[in-house]
Order: sequence, then C-alpha cells, then structure tokens
Amino acid sequence: MTPGVAEAQTQTETQIDSIGRPEQLGCSGRPIVLSTHALTKQFGSLRAVDGLDMEVCAGDVFGFLGPNGAGKTTVIRLVLGLIHPTSGHAEVCGHRVPGELQGALRHVAGFVDDPTFYPLMSARRNLRLLGSMTGPVSEERVDEVLEIAGLLERAESRVGGFSHGMKQRLGIAQALLHSPELIVLDEPTSGLDPRGMKDVRELIRDLGAAGTTVFLSSHLLHEVEQVCTRAVILNKGRVVVQGKVSELRPQNDAVKVLTDDQGKAAETLKAQFGAGGVSDDEGFLIVEADEDGVPEMVRRLVADGLAVRAVVPAPEQGLEDFFLELTSDEDAKPAVESRRRGIARVLGRRR
Amino acid sequence: MSTPENAVPIPPAAAHGSTAPRMRGHAWGPLRREWIKLLFQRRTYLIWGGAAAIPFLVSLAIHFSHDQGGGGGGGPAFLDKVLGNGMYVPLASLAVLIPFMLPLAAAMVGGYMIAGEAELGTLRIILLRPVRRGAMLLTKWAAAMLYLAFGSVILLVSGLLFGWLFFGLHPMVTLSGSTISIAHGFGLTLLVYLFGLAAMSTMVSLALLCSVVTDSSLTALIVTVVIYIAINIVIAFSYFAWLRPWVFPYYYTEFLNFFRDPIYWRPIVKAIENFAVWSAGLTVAAYIMFRRKDVLS
Repeated sequence: MTPGVAEAQTQTETQIDSIGRPEQLGCSGRPIVLSTHALTKQFGSLRAVDGLDMEVCAGDVFGFLGPNGAGKTTVIRLVLGLIHPTSGHAEVCGHRVPGELQGALRHVAGFVDDPTFYPLMSARRNLRLLGSMTGPVSEERVDEVLEIAGLLERAESRVGGFSHGMKQRLGIAQALLHSPELIVLDEPTSGLDPRGMKDVRELIRDLGAAGTTVFLSSHLLHEVEQVCTRAVILNKGRVVVQGKVSELRPQNDAVKVLTDDQGKAAETLKAQFGAGGVSDDEGFLIVEADEDGVPEMVRRLVADGLAVRAVVPAPEQGLEDFFLELTSDEDAKPAVESRRRGIARVLGRRR
Repeated sequence: MSTPENAVPIPPAAAHGSTAPRMRGHAWGPLRREWIKLLFQRRTYLIWGGAAAIPFLVSLAIHFSHDQGGGGGGGPAFLDKVLGNGMYVPLASLAVLIPFMLPLAAAMVGGYMIAGEAELGTLRIILLRPVRRGAMLLTKWAAAMLYLAFGSVILLVSGLLFGWLFFGLHPMVTLSGSTISIAHGFGLTLLVYLFGLAAMSTMVSLALLCSVVTDSSLTALIVTVVIYIAINIVIAFSYFAWLRPWVFPYYYTEFLNFFRDPIYWRPIVKAIENFAVWSAGLTVAAYIMFRRKDVLS
C-alpha cells in the first residue's frame, strides 16, 4: 500500500470515529436520511457486513462503492429490511430498521439486485400493482414515470419480453411512483449499453437536482465520480473511505523530471526530498514536491551542473487506481499469480 | 429515457414526512393484487381447465362403460351411482379429486405463494413496499383458498352441466336409502364442496409453510405432497391406528356423512375442528418463519 493510501485510510478512520456527530461529516444542518450504526451481518462463518457506520444526508447523491462481493447488496438488504442484522441497526428517514420497517418503507423506494417484475403482465400493470402496495397511484402518475423512464411506448407490452436495460429502467420508474424521499438503486446501469448508462446517470443527476436523496450502489468508479456528491468505499463489509467524492481522490503534489543525467539528478533530489520522495517511472523521475518546492528543486539541479529538460506535473492518481489499492486483496494475490502462471503454461503448450 | 426535448420534469422530493398516503383498511386491495397475480400465471388455467374437464371425463367414462356393460366399475364413492342420475357427477368428480388432485392443486398454489415469488425475484421487490409480512402471508393464504374455491365452482358447474347432458338430473338417493329432491341434493353437494375447501385449507397452510422455508416452488410442492403421501401411508397401517384421529388426511373422506339421512354431523364437526387446528397451526408456523426469513433471492 502506498503512503498516500495509508494516509487516506488513517484520515477515514478519524471520520468513522466521528459517526454520530453529523455536523462533522459534512451534513451541514441537513437531516440525515439514512444511517447505519455498527451494522453487522454474519452468514455462518462469513462476516458479510462488519460493524458498518455511515450516513447519508438529505439531498445527497450518495455513491456506495465497492468491488463485487464487498457486501454492498447485503447492506442494502439490511437497510431495507429484507434481511435481519446480526447486530446493530439502521435508521431510515427517522425510522429504526428493523423495528419500524413499515414506517421507513413509506419514504423509500428502489430495487435490490436486478429489478424483477411479473413477466406476463404489462409494464403498466406491473407499476399499478407495485404502486398500489404503497398507496393510491393515478394513471397520470404511471404515465409520468413511464415517460421519465422512456418506456411510455412500451407501456402495454409484457415485461417478459423486455431487455435487461428496459427492466432496469422500469425498476427506476417503479421507484419514482410515489416521489419518495430516498431512492435506493443497486447497480442501476449494470448491463446497459453506453447510451442507456448515460441516460440513467442523467436521470439520477436530475433526481438529485430535484432534491431527492439517491443512494447509488456501484462498482464503477467513474460513474460515482460523474454522478455522486458523497460516497463510501466498502471492502469486505467495512467502510474503507467515506466523504465528498471530490475529496476521496488522494491529493497529488508530484512532478516528473527529466535531466541529461538521471542518476546524478536522483541523488540530488533524494538529498532534498528524501529517498521516499523520489521514484523512477519510465525514464522520468517522479518527485513528490509541492508548488513551493519545485523552484528550489530546479535551482539545486542546475547548481549541480545538470541540464533540466522537462519538469511536468505527474498525472494524478485516478480514483480507480486508488480504489484498486484500497480494495486489493493481498491474500488473493498468490492465488491469482499461480492461476496466471497456469494459464501461461497451457497457452505455451498450445503454441 | 426522455430526450432533452421531451424531458419530463422530475417532481421535487416530497417535503419532510410522509411521501405516500396511507392505504387504509381495505382487505380487498391486497387480495385483489394476489388474485391478479394468479390470473397472470399459465398454471392457473391448467388446473382450472382440469377442473372443467374431469366431470366430462367421468361422465364419458361411465357412459361408455355402461355401453359395454361394465357398469360403474366400482372406484370412489358415488361413481357407480352416476349412471342413472347426473346429480352424482359433481359429487363423484369431487370424490375423485379430494384425495388426489385437490391436495395437489392446493400444494401447487400454496407452494408457489412465497417460493414462487422468490424464484421469480419479485419477493424482494414487493417486500420493499410498506406491507407487513404477516398480512402479506395471510393474504396469500386467502388468495390460494379463493383460487381453490373458484376451481371448485368450475368443477361443480361443469359436473352439473355434463351430468345433465349425459344422464339428466333426478332426485338423489342418500347412503341411508332415502330419496331427496334435486334442490336438497344440490344443497348437500354444496356442503360437500365447502367441506372439501375446509380440508384443502390444511394443505394450503402446509404448502405455505414449505414455501416459506424454501426458495423453489417445485421443492415446496414436492415436499408438501411427500408429507401428505407419507401421512396417508403411515396411517394405513394398523400399528399406527392411534395416530389417525390426530392427522388431517384421515378426515378427508368424512364428507360422505352429508349423504346420510339425517346428516351424521359428529365426524364432520370433528373433521372441521381438526382442519382448523392444523391450518391455523401451520399458518402460524409459516408466519413465524416468514417474519424472520432473510430474503436473499
């Protein structure tokens, strides 16, 4: 793990410790719509969710990130009362779950895993049926949500003939029926083509702009970067990082340096920034120097008789790399390596 | 999704507090939903089709057996009486169905109620709506009973129709030898049908319990039928005679007592009591399991 990641994790732990004091986590007076308190779920010997604490504030488009198997769907099932926690609890729109589940579910809508419907019924009838379980729903409202989801033309078609993407959109439509305070969407763009993904993301942004709180589970980093205001990164059932999306990415003050003698330059720079602050990357030296340090660095290089050919900002570490580092499974690496070697051997024999 | 030109404005989130008006106290609403779900399943029509066809097949078989000089040919109660009187067709059809096909239909519809939704994936979407699991389970039980009642009505109407067409409708002779009018006979036949439904409530509850435990409707159906057959086999042995008064399949044929003159109520009441206890017990067990069930489907 790189020092940047370690720092981020330390910073995160400080944030986790402060759960229960919303003002410290950036809700800035907004009500907390969803929170979990030491939420834990054990399946046999597997601890799928491990003492989870997080908060979603009203108006957030909240990204719930994690690799496959991190426990995202289990958390959603716990929060929505589909499964019972081993310990801990959640609070949804002021209602404790479990305990006051029906009260909570009056304010929430969404779907878990793939949205599923009655295949022999039309999209419209499915919406009517599901909507009537929450409260009266008018035909006009059904039309509205079908139009928002772009399914109005297929309203009378049987859902059994719908593509995966259309079912995803119908899932969003049924979630919108009663204009809930909180919409929970579990990987809503999975299986969609690029156009469909773009549409769904725009819809989520629009919902957020209209003041609806959206809880978006995803394993797609760029999706969360594009759409969400705040996020949690989950791994092995635990929060690794949470905060504003813009602050999740580690701050990167590094420059790439190219001189006529990289060996000598490395010695000079290590004397200034320490051995850990200088590394080699495809012929360039990567130096962790902030804005103030760069002029002094160049002066020293020139003073040592080196010709400085280039000083350029090092590319920022993407959230994706950061995410991979945070969620990498060290234990799994030997097994993955062994598998790779096995595949290479088989391919070698075939050649 | 809506294109920018025809984009539909998304309504703002509801103000803090309730977002949806509360559904108040109409039991018919949930039952209607379950009923609609049943109507949108192909298997529903298979069973109902069977209920319509069986009286026709019974009538046809008796008719041709008579042509070949075979008579009624024994078999279940009332079958040999069909020949001279179409009023016995719905009764004989029910007598054929009560021990065999009705339990199967009850196991099928009851077994589908939770496990079927689980395997379809709709259980997780309906449980995100503010409906209590207990209320949902009871509604599903009621819908299963309604399904069987409707099937029974089809059987009754079909039985009377084909009975009339093949043999004509005449006054009936009770098991005690007395003769009763067509209207009286029809009333007794209705009572037998109600008894059949009461009997099936036990199978529906058993199937519902199995349906809660598993996520496969086929498994729920098979387990229910296996339990039913196992009980029947066990109580067939005299060694287990002491068990008979306690298990519900033992009472399934007590409907015959409606056709004694006067009606022999004691075994009928005892049977109904047994059905009520078993049905309530199994439904409560299903509720306890369902309330704590982790929905992972």
